[in-house]
Amino acid sequence: MGFILRLAWRDWRGGELGLLVIALMVAVGTVTAVSLFVDRLHQALLKESATFLAADRYIGSSAEIPESFRQAARDLGLETADTLSFPSMVFTADDRNSLVSVKAVGPGYPLRGVLRVTDVPFTPPVVTTELPEPGEVWLDGRLFPSLGVALGDRVEVGYATLEITRVLTSEPDRGGSMYDLGPRLLMRIEDVPATRVVQPGSRLSYRLLLKGEEGALETLKADLGIEEDPNFWWRGIRESSPTIGSALTRAESFLLLGGLLGVLLAGVAVALSAHRYARRHYDHVGVLKTLGATPNQILASYVGLLAVVGGVAVSFGLLVGSGLHLAIVAMLQSIIPVALPPPSVRPFLLGAVTGLICAIAFALPPLLHLKNISPMRVIRRDVGAAPPSQIASYGAAVAGSLGLLIWYSGSIELTAWTLLGTLGALALFGALATVLLRGGRVVGMQAGSGLRLALAGLQRRRKENTAQILIFGLAIMLLLILLLLRTALLDEWRNQVPENAPNHFAMNISPEDVDEIGVLLEANSREQGGLFPMIRGRITAVNGIPAKEWEATHRSEMEDGPRLSSGRNLTWAEDMPDDNALVAGDWWDAADTRAMVSLEDDYAEDLGLSIGDQLTFDIGGETLDVEVVNLRRLNWESMRPNFFIIFSPGALESFPATWMTSFYLERDNKQFLNELLSRFPTITVIEVDAIIAQVQSIIARVTQAVELVLGLVLASGVLVLIASIHASRDARLSEHALIRTLGGTRRLIAGSLTAEFAALGLFAGIVAVVGAEITVLILQTQVFELGASVHPWLWITGPLIGALLILVVGLLGTRQLIAAPPISVLRGLN
Amino acid sequence: MTALNVIPKGEDEPETMDAVVIETRSVAKIVPTAEGELAILEGIDLEINAGESVAIVGASGSGKTTLLGILAGLDVPTAGTVSLCGAELTALDEEERAKVRGEQIGFVFQTFQLLGSLTALENVMLPAELRGEAEAEQDARDLLAKVGLAQRLDHYPRQLSGGEQQRVAIARAFASRPNVLFADEPTGNLDTRTGATIIDLLFELNAEFDTTLVLVTHDDRLAARCGRVIEIDGGRIVG
Repeated sequence: MGFILRLAWRDWRGGELGLLVIALMVAVGTVTAVSLFVDRLHQALLKESATFLAADRYIGSSAEIPESFRQAARDLGLETADTLSFPSMVFTADDRNSLVSVKAVGPGYPLRGVLRVTDVPFTPPVVTTELPEPGEVWLDGRLFPSLGVALGDRVEVGYATLEITRVLTSEPDRGGSMYDLGPRLLMRIEDVPATRVVQPGSRLSYRLLLKGEEGALETLKADLGIEEDPNFWWRGIRESSPTIGSALTRAESFLLLGGLLGVLLAGVAVALSAHRYARRHYDHVGVLKTLGATPNQILASYVGLLAVVGGVAVSFGLLVGSGLHLAIVAMLQSIIPVALPPPSVRPFLLGAVTGLICAIAFALPPLLHLKNISPMRVIRRDVGAAPPSQIASYGAAVAGSLGLLIWYSGSIELTAWTLLGTLGALALFGALATVLLRGGRVVGMQAGSGLRLALAGLQRRRKENTAQILIFGLAIMLLLILLLLRTALLDEWRNQVPENAPNHFAMNISPEDVDEIGVLLEANSREQGGLFPMIRGRITAVNGIPAKEWEATHRSEMEDGPRLSSGRNLTWAEDMPDDNALVAGDWWDAADTRAMVSLEDDYAEDLGLSIGDQLTFDIGGETLDVEVVNLRRLNWESMRPNFFIIFSPGALESFPATWMTSFYLERDNKQFLNELLSRFPTITVIEVDAIIAQVQSIIARVTQAVELVLGLVLASGVLVLIASIHASRDARLSEHALIRTLGGTRRLIAGSLTAEFAALGLFAGIVAVVGAEITVLILQTQVFELGASVHPWLWITGPLIGALLILVVGLLGTRQLIAAPPISVLRGLN
Repeated sequence: MTALNVIPKGEDEPETMDAVVIETRSVAKIVPTAEGELAILEGIDLEINAGESVAIVGASGSGKTTLLGILAGLDVPTAGTVSLCGAELTALDEEERAKVRGEQIGFVFQTFQLLGSLTALENVMLPAELRGEAEAEQDARDLLAKVGLAQRLDHYPRQLSGGEQQRVAIARAFASRPNVLFADEPTGNLDTRTGATIIDLLFELNAEFDTTLVLVTHDDRLAARCGRVIEIDGGRIVG
């Protein structure tokens, strides 16, 4: 043990182990920092997302939730609260009325998030921890002008008369569904029996809100057998708010991908530095063997050395990772308004095990090989070491990478695609690198001496340089992949809620008010989504086949897609809505009076409908036959009125319709709602700005996390470059020392190195762009479910970035080579 | 090691000058090449007695370095037997040969072969450390003082001249109190004057420690200092 420690200390002192230790430390540090941050941010995001539900999970049903459920939850230490939502009419003392969406809540509500209230409608709200007392109601701001009521007035809900005591601005679980349209009335669940509105056939939505430990929640779900019971549904943030759910899922996938790419890069750096260390120890081992060191002693020494180095690197890596993560948290403190919960043990474990796997898979094989070095090497340099077993080396690295990837991402699919991309790229890179090197040599024949020297060098060390282009290319490719995915993901997320997207919906507009409201909105809001007539109807037959029958044979497997025969909001339009895109067929001519219909593409696909199909609609008891003439794609996140089914103008005009629109209102122009609702008391206005703000704040935070991971991966990438340049440093050293002794000037060497690194970088850049484009295409379409895209700018910037990056890192890494007098270089080599 | 019938060293060493320490029988080294098999050494029979100093000479490519490697147990012949200090090297595996090397022989190389990451003192301490001996430092200091490097203990090889590096190598070679010292072109990398100093030092220590010396050289002066010269040509002993 003493000898191993002395060996480790002497090698460290001699600078032999520095890069290996740093590479291992970076691997451990990156993983620890990323997973610590992700772990805490993830917990925080989940917690914050839970406010969208007002709970961690809920059990929903259209029937009353059995007391046994509540008891089971409480037995598991979970907090519970009940809510019951239903639409109802409210009446005032002077007989004005409005359809409202009642939410009756029990004590404890909301379990997550807060209620915001005010005393004057449309004024800034304050957070409250109170609930309406029994006998009281809190009303949505827009009900005050439309009902002509004030605080202290009374309203009737069914048979109960309740006092208005607050203006309710928001509750956490408001933005559940677009069909929960009416303005909100919040009351106590204890008052519901007095209203007598709960009748057989009433549209009721019961929820049992739950809050508590993840494990307890899962246990409850399993104990109650909810998944098997069609009368109840179990909901978390992912199921109930798909937009946020998918943003979170993608963010996690991305962060994990980033983290594991970081680990892979660090692994490559570990392998490179271990190989260099081993190569530099061939003579060392030869001497030790002539001095009597046995192969087993050599083996034990170097394995022991790696254990010592690994132990030190892991310890420091964990410290560095923790420090780095604290620095990041401190840096982002001001923009992360959520309080980060304390980290779990997992990130530290992840970091330590990563270090261990990196050491075993990447660093151990070349060191194991040292025991096979022949002692003859000390007197016969040409007795080279038998090359390390390629299968053992690469096999261990691949197995290690695979293990890390799967463990780290928890996703075999993501791992498989990443690995496939990497392997495919490697094969492609090898071929491409060879071609580029050959081409470079041909060009080099016509070049000046520095460049000729460089390109001749590239060609001469073809094998090494191909490997180096592969490694550089891989590192740059991984960075490009991350950059491209980040751009694609961020754009996708940002586009989900465009800036100035309409933040209010106005519905239930009577036809005679349409023009006037249009003018009023034009004058007071910045962006309108267009006015659309809305007619309720349903499909009864397709090509003469009854809808239910058609559905049984044509509906796709997707259980939660729209149903053919359910009631739908229909509209008609002369022109296609602005943000729709035609994917098949032609838009109709305004002069064409035939009854035609345009369907949303996915809707048509799910229900097996196509152009030319004849649909029979039941609208208000009347039957209407129309032909499908085109398919459209919608932008669901545009916050504009969107319709699955749009009729040609002539077809629906004779049916009575109400109209709807959407518009954007500045926060300080909210008073306009008062004016609008006073003048048109029958219209319904839905404020969605709060939901948009919530979605945007989550996206903003996710973005920061993504950028942070990108930074860390970049650091690993640069480390690989440094390790790779170090690995070839010895060969370059002797070559350049020789050229210098033969009369080559420093300028010639500098010029040649510049040209060599630039060429290597350029080639690696080209190779990386090819690999990145292919991998990103596959990842985007197969894993992230985004659209495919090619990036022409990359083909210019990729090689340029490669050349510049490797030039800078390369020249920094070899500046001693240029500066040192040749004699010291030659001596150093001895 | 108990199975190995090696000559014990140190104070119990037999004083018989003509005890055979190295013996080869029909040693051959044949390596496969692209053009077929190439015989580097053939039919080598020789005996070297304790306390002898032997120079192996011959042209480049004659096979002398290969022979040295085989005699020292660094390499194995493809045919024949080699025994070193009573140990049948050709019957041992690498693990056992390493032990014999550690206990019986010292080595001085043309290219010095000091470990660059170790100081002069640490290089000399290395053999004892490999044997797990704790008290190596004082002995190493004394040896370095003997070779005139008492002031250079903490210098790294790159901070030493060629002659100084070779002195460190000699000190290291004697650190294990070897029965046999092998030297491969010990003056090959040195100028004449430094070479001469190194030769003096080598023979001085050789006499002091009563070591058998086997060296390969092109240097006639060095060969002339040896008690016996074995000439190799085309892989055979010719004189």
